[in-house]
Amino acid sequence: MSDYDIPTLKEEIDRETVDQVLALDVDKYKYGFETIIESEKAPKGLNEDIVRFISAKKNEPEWMLEWRLDAFRRWLTLNEPTWARVSYPKIDFQDQYYYSAPKSTSGPKSLDEVDPELLRTYEKLGIPLSEQKILAGVQDANGTASTPFSGNVAVDAVFDSVSVVTTFREELAKHGIIFCSISEAVREHPDLVKKYLGSVVPVTDNFYATLNSAVFTDGSFVYIPKGVRCPMELSTYFRINEKNTGQFERTLIIAEEGSYVSYLEGCTAPMRDEHQLHAAVVELVALDDAEIKYSTVQNWYPGDKNGKGGIYNFVTKRGDCRGKNSKISWTQVETGSAITWKYPSCILRGDGSRGEFYSIAISNGHQQVDSGTKMIHLGKNTSSRIISKGIAAGFSDNTYRGQVSAHRRATNARNFTQCDSLLIGDRCGAHTVPYIESRNSSVVFEHEATTSKISDDQMFYCLQRGLSEEEAVALIVNGFVRDVLQQLPMEFMVETQKLIGISLEGSVG
Amino acid sequence: MNVQTPVRLSAAEEAFVGQLESAGASAAAERFRIIGLPTRRVESYHYTDLKTLLSAVPPLARAAKGASAPVIDIPGAYRIVIANGEVQNSGTAPNGVIVSKVAGATLTTRDDVLMRLNSALVSESVSVELTGHVDAVVHIDRRMEGDAAHVQSGAKIAFAAGTKATVIETVSGSDAAHMGNAGSYVSVGEGAEVTHILVDLSARQATHFASVEYRLAANAKFKSVVVNAGANLARAQIFAEFTGEGTHGDFYGLNLVDGEQHKDITLDVTHGVPHTTSSELYKQIARGRGKAVFQGKINVARDAQKTDAKMMMQGLLLSDEAEILAKPELEIFADDVVCGHGATCGDLDDTWLFYLMSRGIPRAEAETMLIRGFLAEIVDAVEAEHVAQALGDIVEVWLGKAV
Repeated sequence: MSDYDIPTLKEEIDRETVDQVLALDVDKYKYGFETIIESEKAPKGLNEDIVRFISAKKNEPEWMLEWRLDAFRRWLTLNEPTWARVSYPKIDFQDQYYYSAPKSTSGPKSLDEVDPELLRTYEKLGIPLSEQKILAGVQDANGTASTPFSGNVAVDAVFDSVSVVTTFREELAKHGIIFCSISEAVREHPDLVKKYLGSVVPVTDNFYATLNSAVFTDGSFVYIPKGVRCPMELSTYFRINEKNTGQFERTLIIAEEGSYVSYLEGCTAPMRDEHQLHAAVVELVALDDAEIKYSTVQNWYPGDKNGKGGIYNFVTKRGDCRGKNSKISWTQVETGSAITWKYPSCILRGDGSRGEFYSIAISNGHQQVDSGTKMIHLGKNTSSRIISKGIAAGFSDNTYRGQVSAHRRATNARNFTQCDSLLIGDRCGAHTVPYIESRNSSVVFEHEATTSKISDDQMFYCLQRGLSEEEAVALIVNGFVRDVLQQLPMEFMVETQKLIGISLEGSVG
Repeated sequence: MNVQTPVRLSAAEEAFVGQLESAGASAAAERFRIIGLPTRRVESYHYTDLKTLLSAVPPLARAAKGASAPVIDIPGAYRIVIANGEVQNSGTAPNGVIVSKVAGATLTTRDDVLMRLNSALVSESVSVELTGHVDAVVHIDRRMEGDAAHVQSGAKIAFAAGTKATVIETVSGSDAAHMGNAGSYVSVGEGAEVTHILVDLSARQATHFASVEYRLAANAKFKSVVVNAGANLARAQIFAEFTGEGTHGDFYGLNLVDGEQHKDITLDVTHGVPHTTSSELYKQIARGRGKAVFQGKINVARDAQKTDAKMMMQGLLLSDEAEILAKPELEIFADDVVCGHGATCGDLDDTWLFYLMSRGIPRAEAETMLIRGFLAEIVDAVEAEHVAQALGDIVEVWLGKAV
């Protein structure tokens, strides 16, 4: 690089940093706006009538209602889990809304009739990959003109609790792929739903999963037929909008023999004061030789700098490698939410199956993260890999909690776990709680964990090359999480690198 | 909103409540009645679910009539015998050692069921104070004698500032289904260089619990070694707290498991002040249908900057029906620290076996060599020669039954 370029470049970087800082102050949550759309909601509280109301709203068949009611009755007998390293005031489950749908006069397929406020929301969300063009493309598709796909992402947008529009449906249908809302799947593909719903996360799996089973409002359903490689990344944007509305998403992905799918999930939520409850359930089923890649970027409102407000994120995610040589890979970037309670897991049932978990969990302010994974080795020659990077700053607590277990018949199971924690500042905490359980002598498990701060050497090196302290931290942290970043689909990588900088804003100096 | 059914007490729980009441500890009995024995839902007992594992409790021990032969004999050691919880008169103490009896138990109040039972049921404990360079090894020999009995015992060991000494505690006794619960409170003074060893050699049918609390003052060099080599069900819990700067602690442990045995080592190290370091090395070996459990937690307090702690757990599984369960935890609140842990679990390495066998060593012998090598790291950590020899013998006995 010539001498001439350096000052210009430097100036540009400086300006960019200043802009970023201005735009993304800790208090001014970027996605903290509220869209004013009339919404239709059930009365506050939870009882059998509310469950019936949700089921009726969704035009569900009788069996689905029974399933929900059964879950609800079981939920009444369960206690809230307290083992996670998080603390929050007791949730009053009767003080929540369990259903809220954006008001819409016609079927969701016609974008013309969708509230323009809603479209503006998408605009503000800055959904990547020319989301706006895709949405416009759908409008044009009413005619015969073919829609040039500007990106390879199919989006099932979830606005509060109802899927408003599903794009790329027809393109996917050509391959026999079903990508629709779970409510639609219940109505149109009852056999598949009956067969797989609750088969990975049983109704009574845990308190929040059971609650979700009773009141889930929407979510995605994906079915990839035998031998099909899904031609694009499938994506859902979750968005919690209505005040005091718990969002209970239910996602079910089935990959038939020899198929492949990559699924992206990204989340933002508007700023508000009341704590919001989110209890999603995600079930993945991979049959023989199938592969599912599930990526999440979670950036919900973390609460303000005093720890007020923010989302409670109590999620049950589990993948079942049911077939031989199947593979499930979880990648997550957790930067938002006041409380995260989330353990994407793999049940390695099929012989030769493989599970992966890559995680970046960043906590700042008063956030509390208790996240990790479970790798349950049941089949022979199963393998798993866990790479977890936790970064704690501010007054936050960041816990990795993971279980690796091999059962009697899991001959030659292998696991490698690495969990590293980075502490920024002396008011935060980083914790590691792995459970290692081996019940077969041919199993080889390796686990390593480290906790440290950014070394003075690294900082000195960056500072003496003219980086500011904040830039240096962002650079080093991005290096720290590099192993995981590389696992993310291209679409998420750029966004994530930016997010990391944003999340650590105000953590130094 | 919830419709819960009240918890019913198991037979073992009823027995504990009865024993606490008969000992006049009515408050403890009442508390026990409410809380009961821990299940796997209690995090610190996650792999040792006492509610399931304990089916019966033998009657509270009475004074022992006669004693069995010492289970290990350390030449030159000064021996203090506690038989069925009663401190026996021992001979003249070596220079720098003062032995006395103290009323009641020695442990602090910690929210742990075994420690609470110990505190409520121990009526007298032994107190050992050590000062200066104590050449003789002090051997606290706890016995469970006669018919199956529930034996509670306590010891308080105080190493004065600048002391250099080695103390070994063993548990052994008659071949009966005893239940032992031993408490030790160990304080290490400033600048002391001290080794404390805890060995369980109780009968095959016995159950044995041991709880040790260490308080480590400034600039000390401390070593703790725990070996679980007896009992069908054993749990050794170690709570160490660094209370003075400049102290280093080495923590070693060995779980030797076979048959239907279930052995647990639970470690909780708290770095409460800045500039302390520790290293933890625990090895577990399991064959038959045995279960080896290790839980290790390193806590670093907010102010404990410059802590350096490294914990390692290595497990060797010799049979497909045995289990190794581990939970190495870090809980860190200070940012300028270097902490890490590692855990491995596997079988003997085939390539190592092949190497030895290709040199004409029969398979069984090659396996024994490798296992001995695996375990040696713990035994070699003990500097006192006769004590290291005694621990080596324990390993050899286990190996003799091994391959």
